[in-house]
Amino acid sequence: MVKTERMEADEAEPAPGFAWLIGAAAWFIPGVGHLLQQKWWRAALLGGAVWICFFVGMGMGGHLFDLSTENSSVLLQVPPMIANIGTGALYLVSWLFDYGFKDDPAQAARATYEYGNTFLLIAGLLNYLTMLDAFDIAAGRKP
Amino acid sequence: MTLFAALASVVFGAMAKDTNQERLLYGLKVFAEFMVIGLVLGWILYFIP
Repeated sequence: MVKTERMEADEAEPAPGFAWLIGAAAWFIPGVGHLLQQKWWRAALLGGAVWICFFVGMGMGGHLFDLSTENSSVLLQVPPMIANIGTGALYLVSWLFDYGFKDDPAQAARATYEYGNTFLLIAGLLNYLTMLDAFDIAAGRKP
Repeated sequence: MTLFAALASVVFGAMAKDTNQERLLYGLKVFAEFMVIGLVLGWILYFIP
């Protein structure tokens, strides 16, 4: 990139407040950011993938992470917690009902436990990507 | 692994590229890469005690 192009890129218009709201909505309820912008197919594909990942993960007996821990360091809980929080309301509702957070040995013994964990982590991370996509569309940076 | 690869490649495919055809091809490519790499790693780890 030549200097003038870089300067133009640096001077790009800031994202409108509407885009931040769309981003927040997209994080809070997966798929809603695209629905609000009438991107039906994207909402179905991106939001649907996140919802399916989350419920498949829950169905497999996956574990959601928060800062409470019995055996390990709190710091080790932070990265997976950040990934889990990406699912927005799904995480918050589970947290409010204390569903999926307990350290249950019987649950951890299930053959699908680690798969479930992975699906729950991926659900949150995919929703972060979905949120950024919705934000870019709302900010006019993407068609 | 297949379900994971399918869901992740749907998201990657839907967000990348410009045209629907390019998106579809990219999604299929990502799906194939997930599957191949997953199987290769699985076999490598199988032989490691």
